[in-house]
Amino acid sequence: MTETPPAPDPAPTPVMRRSRTAVLGGVCAGLADHLGAPVGRMRLIAIVLTFVGGTGALLYLWLWALTPLEKAADGGEPVRRSFPAAPVLLGLAGVSALAALAIAVRDSGADPAVEVLLTIAFAGGAVTWSLLFDRHDPRRSDRYGFHVRTAAAALMLLSAVLLLLTDPRAQTAVLSVVMIIAGFGVLVAPQVVRLWTELMAERSTRFRQESRAEVAAHLHDSVLQTLALIQNRAGASSEIARIARAQERELRDWLFAGTAPSDADFAAELREAASELELEHPVRFEVVTVGDFTDRSFPAVLAAAREAMLNAARHAGGDVSVYVELSAAAIDVFVRDRGTGFDVSSVADGRLGVRESIVGRMTRHGGRASVVSGEAGTEVRLHLQLGGTQQAPAQTSAGHPAAQPAASILPANNSAPGGPA
Amino acid sequence: MKVLIVDDHSIFRSGLRADLAEFIEVVGEAATVDEALALIEQTAPEVVLLDVHLPGGEGGGGAEVIRRSARLLGSIRFLALSVSDSAEDVVGVIRAGARGYITKSSSGAEVSRAVAAVAAGDAVFSPRLAGFVLDAFGAVAGEQAETSDELDRLSAREREVMRLIARGYAYKEVATDLFISIKTVETHVSAVLRKLQLSSRHELTAWALERKLL
Repeated sequence: MTETPPAPDPAPTPVMRRSRTAVLGGVCAGLADHLGAPVGRMRLIAIVLTFVGGTGALLYLWLWALTPLEKAADGGEPVRRSFPAAPVLLGLAGVSALAALAIAVRDSGADPAVEVLLTIAFAGGAVTWSLLFDRHDPRRSDRYGFHVRTAAAALMLLSAVLLLLTDPRAQTAVLSVVMIIAGFGVLVAPQVVRLWTELMAERSTRFRQESRAEVAAHLHDSVLQTLALIQNRAGASSEIARIARAQERELRDWLFAGTAPSDADFAAELREAASELELEHPVRFEVVTVGDFTDRSFPAVLAAAREAMLNAARHAGGDVSVYVELSAAAIDVFVRDRGTGFDVSSVADGRLGVRESIVGRMTRHGGRASVVSGEAGTEVRLHLQLGGTQQAPAQTSAGHPAAQPAASILPANNSAPGGPA
Repeated sequence: MKVLIVDDHSIFRSGLRADLAEFIEVVGEAATVDEALALIEQTAPEVVLLDVHLPGGEGGGGAEVIRRSARLLGSIRFLALSVSDSAEDVVGVIRAGARGYITKSSSGAEVSRAVAAVAAGDAVFSPRLAGFVLDAFGAVAGEQAETSDELDRLSAREREVMRLIARGYAYKEVATDLFISIKTVETHVSAVLRKLQLSSRHELTAWALERKLL
């Protein structure tokens, strides 16, 4: 073994791939790349060979069909073709049509069938090319494709009518009618293609939905039941139950809620916060939301509610109820635990949790927060008035003489994050 | 107290059976709609613990069991058991005639309490169901006044009771909070249950329909 660095490998012959920036099919460019020869020479060889009994064209088509496309840098980059194949085919169709008409006009008894068929073939080829390739090519506009199709249809219809007028023999008439039908077919082809594509897309979507529903039904009957059983047998706030609960929630979200995720949804954000806390603390949150939260986000309320939930998880644990009510006028959040409670007034000033993160935050944002604590547990209430309406808040706490609002209402500044309802 | 357990998972049935309180006597277990109907006929239980999703019958699950034993609704009370606590799952059985529902993750003690409450003629409302009721009756959005049918709206008191239940208050705590007796709370809850069962508010029917389409 020597210490000399290994000689650099000669660059391996690249696997042949068709270029995405092509003249026609990208075969010559790919071949040139593969063989390390100039592109021009490859093109020349192909053209020359084409005159040798069409070998070049056949070889070209064969390589076109069998060679994979170059890998795109960013997924589905479309292929760009510089050769105007559709107009050229149209031109050939025009020449064939003229030839057919010339034969018919000369009235030498000759049959223009071959010329007519060539016209149809070339015009059809032009339309097919524009539908298959040009439609996805950023170099060709939709207008370009439309012109190609219109020209093809006009050419076929015009030459069919002229043929019928000049050569009223049965055979030519049949061919002309075929050409007329083909002409109309060209006109409706894009619609048909579009309808077909849509139908296929819809069918595959439906199929995906069906299989998803099937999976959902199956999982619902098996896995979810088992997860429920685990929670049941392991005790509500044991670690196993918490893990099972988190799994159940994830699965359920995927199964049922995955259809319309919203970027800003207060209820969803709160549920997410609850499941995060559940993983870290021996606690089970029952989150109940009332109202339409689609596209509604209240960052300050969310942060305060999260802090209240964290407090409940830390100091009480067990079952904690979270209730959110969103009306046109206000948003209310109630976080209630069943811990032993604490004396609200005795909370030291240094305890940032309640005083700063909950009460202070709500006050700064024009809302209010209160903490009610008793032997049966602690309830944190958050209230934020929305919009400009200054009606009396629909407070439900008729009782609770012990309710000591730690912060009073500051309605002067109504900069509700959610804006007017 | 005679109780019939209807659930298609044998592990769950036996687990629940072992966990139930002393005063409950399990008179039978059924796994399908048809078995459930036959056993209800045979054993005449006081309370049927009924899974929402059940195989057999015409595919209607728990709701079908209730509907097909409708003539017994006077003597037999149904308590729905659901693996999920989403209201969509449960509204179908409630509207078919169940007196309440609990989730399968509830402990044996919780189930026993609910069974006792249902047997006594009370409705069992979970916070989630109370939240659903508030949503479905438009009690928060403030569109209540538009409807004139009494079945389609909640009274102010019923609304307050539902709110407190949604906040996680037990009936007793609701009573203390509102300065009313527990019996009154139970009356309100039963009234709400009746409205939930009989109301033709389109939100409710839409929920049920949506569920069936799924």
